[in-house]
Amino acid sequence: MVSVSLRGVTKRYGETVAVEDVSFEVGKGELFFLLGPSGCGKTTILRLVAGFMQPDAGVICFDGRPIVSVPAHRRNTGMVFQSYALWPHMNVAENVAYGLRERRIERQEREERVRAVLRTVHMAQYRDRMPNQLSGGQQQRVALARALVIEPDVVLLDEPLSNLDARLRLDMRREIRRIHAETGITMLYVTHDQKEALSMAQRLAVMSMGRVEQLGDPRSVYRRPVNRFVAEFMGEANMIAGSLLGTGAGFGTLRTPLGDLRAALGAGRLSAADQAVCMVRPECLQLGNGHENAFRARVDSSVYLGEIEQFVLSAGGMELRAIQSNPGSGPAPVGRETQVHFSAEDAVLLPAERPPESSPPEAQGAGK
Amino acid sequence: MRRTALILVIATGAFLLAFLIYPLLYSCRGAFVVNGHFSLAFFQYLYTDKLTRECIVNSLVLGCVVTVITAALALPLALVVARYSFPAKTLLTGLLLVPMIMPPFVGAIGMRHILARFGSLNLLFMDAGLMHSPVDWLGGARFWGVVIIEVLHLYPIMYLNFAAALANVDPSLEEAAVNLGSSGFRLFRKITLPLMMPGLFAGSVIVFIWAFTDLGTPLVFGYRRVVAVRIFDQVTELQNNPQGYALVVGVVALTALIYLAAKRLFGLRAYGSLSRGPVYGGEKRVRPLGACLIAAFVLGVVAIACLPHVAVVLTALQKDWFMSVVPSGYTLGHFHDALGHPLTLSSIRNSIGYSALSTVLDGVIGILVAYVLVRYAFWGSDMLDAMVMLPIAIPGLVLAFGYVATFSGTVLDPRENPVPLLVIAYALRRLPYMVRAAYAGFQQVNVQLEEAAINLGSPPLRAMRRVTVPLVSANLIAGGILVFSFAMLEVSDSLILAMKERFYPITKGIYVLIQRIEDGPYIASALGVWAMVFLALSLVAAGMLLGRRLGQLFRV
Repeated sequence: MVSVSLRGVTKRYGETVAVEDVSFEVGKGELFFLLGPSGCGKTTILRLVAGFMQPDAGVICFDGRPIVSVPAHRRNTGMVFQSYALWPHMNVAENVAYGLRERRIERQEREERVRAVLRTVHMAQYRDRMPNQLSGGQQQRVALARALVIEPDVVLLDEPLSNLDARLRLDMRREIRRIHAETGITMLYVTHDQKEALSMAQRLAVMSMGRVEQLGDPRSVYRRPVNRFVAEFMGEANMIAGSLLGTGAGFGTLRTPLGDLRAALGAGRLSAADQAVCMVRPECLQLGNGHENAFRARVDSSVYLGEIEQFVLSAGGMELRAIQSNPGSGPAPVGRETQVHFSAEDAVLLPAERPPESSPPEAQGAGK
Repeated sequence: MRRTALILVIATGAFLLAFLIYPLLYSCRGAFVVNGHFSLAFFQYLYTDKLTRECIVNSLVLGCVVTVITAALALPLALVVARYSFPAKTLLTGLLLVPMIMPPFVGAIGMRHILARFGSLNLLFMDAGLMHSPVDWLGGARFWGVVIIEVLHLYPIMYLNFAAALANVDPSLEEAAVNLGSSGFRLFRKITLPLMMPGLFAGSVIVFIWAFTDLGTPLVFGYRRVVAVRIFDQVTELQNNPQGYALVVGVVALTALIYLAAKRLFGLRAYGSLSRGPVYGGEKRVRPLGACLIAAFVLGVVAIACLPHVAVVLTALQKDWFMSVVPSGYTLGHFHDALGHPLTLSSIRNSIGYSALSTVLDGVIGILVAYVLVRYAFWGSDMLDAMVMLPIAIPGLVLAFGYVATFSGTVLDPRENPVPLLVIAYALRRLPYMVRAAYAGFQQVNVQLEEAAINLGSPPLRAMRRVTVPLVSANLIAGGILVFSFAMLEVSDSLILAMKERFYPITKGIYVLIQRIEDGPYIASALGVWAMVFLALSLVAAGMLLGRRLGQLFRV
């Protein structure tokens, strides 16, 4: 088990920059996520770590040892491919045993370890099946077992759940977390699904257009995004624009069409009179009377989903979204004015300029 | 792996340069440089010498006539097979490929019997009262004898190209035209045909080049005034008469010219398919009568195409075949003789040896080249691709002539020992098939399967051997079978390069046997039948391994 660190890593495909000056460190035994829209360079980083391609600049280290010159087959990483990449001409046990054979592990120990890892992923009874006789979720487990059995220094997972249906995806999230907890192996996990990252990661890096936008644990990235891109990528967000009146004690006051709103200061440097936005998540907007950040809004529509109810509100010429948990039994107040408020602690002030959203073409195919 | 790829590309390039490009250039030099000076004298000679000019004209006419007739036969075949269902379709479409299992000049032996003055055809017509005095097909009409044999041998290749072109025409494009009110012949002429053009072009060029440079068939029919036979005759006097060079360069230049002209005329744009997801080929059901008519048409083509084969089998079996439509007595003796005769025995052994060696050579080069082409993008990949495909357009005749000219007096001198050059010639000529077969296989194997193996500790070459090669083994075996069996059937390079009897391969053995007056043709036919059976089995095996993809190998 190792720590993985990237410093100033850059990778270009011709003119296109797939990864630009990326630095982060994955601690020993950490479950670290790379999260971002398709084409943001996250898969390229995984392939750089695996050794399938070389960075144009920068250093990649395992436990502080530079590994860029080590060929892929000597890096002792266990990769779980998006397509699973199970060899169709070998059965489950043969697939899993492959890496052990490469490592010249003796037959008895090999069989022992294959049996053990298949038990870990709950696939022991399928050891003689061929890959095409397995369901997607089962293939996923075999791919995971194949990567784990060699006791790799780091497990690399490339969108491992993206080919599974929604139910199975939830089960597998739990499974991977369990396996991570049991093995304590360093894992670098790539996904575009922010729910997956939030629910599983110990820490994560949000990427866009080849750059890391934000590093942090799930709560801080969700609640305190550093810019509008991260805020909107991590979940739904109401953006209320205005100009900054003043700051103090980690909070600032923004003059907006809804009145003066108080919110936490984000990471971006803001000073008085700057244009800024107040980001507040729908579940933080409360319908009803409140003391702080209160304003009147009209309820345009509502969607009742049982455990929650979603509202579309209009106030000050803009549209806002709100989510109430445990909605009551009365009819929604559609068409009526109501009081809305949110806590300053739940909102964050971000720089107004919106980072460009267009992403470069999907870069992961360019190296093939 | 990048380094491995680079070394490989350089090695393959060197091999192709030495045995494909260099002999061609050497022939050019022989044609242009006379007594150390640049000269166009021999090209003038090509034009002014009456005999040579006649040969060139004959070959051109032969090539054009064969191409046109072949296309006229193959187009309706491809259309009905692609569009209609009819009785015994699988069997009949399979039988359409039968002519490929025999070199045409062997069929010519049998056809001589059928087309002779008192041969089966004339006798049949006279018996039926349709003809009063026999027509001398082989005297006045040798040209047509050659045409018939070549058309019957070449239409499958044209058909496969047409069928592929039709399969590539997106049905939704036709449906769009139908939706706008087009139908029938107009739909075909305005939409389908233009979209098929690349396939028409590819098939026509292959067939033309083949007919234009075929050596065996004109030789057997005694139709000697064609370019191929002239070049063949010149090989023996290379040193003192450089006309051969001029002819070879003329052939290459003309081939290139025709290729470019046809490309310009037909356009080589491949139209991509617009529709995504499964494409439902519109195979229409027709009324029973129509279906039977279609089946009868296909069956008729098959029957006529099998005529040379039947004739060869009859010739091999005959004890007494004179003045009768079919032989009046049969014997298995010739088959026995064919396996007992010293010439045939050594030629069979030689052919198997040469073909096996060339298959191994093609296997190694073809697999590695195809792999590199599929997996890596690198500078010069287009050139490598073009170079390994070039032999499709280089006639065996030209290659063999170039070898004799280039390597005479070196360690590779075919007069001393033709084995290395024969093996290389066979391998080069069939390399495109091997590369195609392997290429198709590698394309279907996701690169991640290999990366997974590398990730778990396999060095790249071992990952390729343990993961990718087993997954494409069907393609590789099929490619190998095709290379092997077609190497057994190489005619022009065998005739030219194998000069000593103990080095003769089967085709040269058959050719020499034919010329022996007494029992030669019968033993030759028996040998031809053995070769036919062998090749048929090979093709069936390759077909079983490749399924429907077999046809792809014969396309350009």
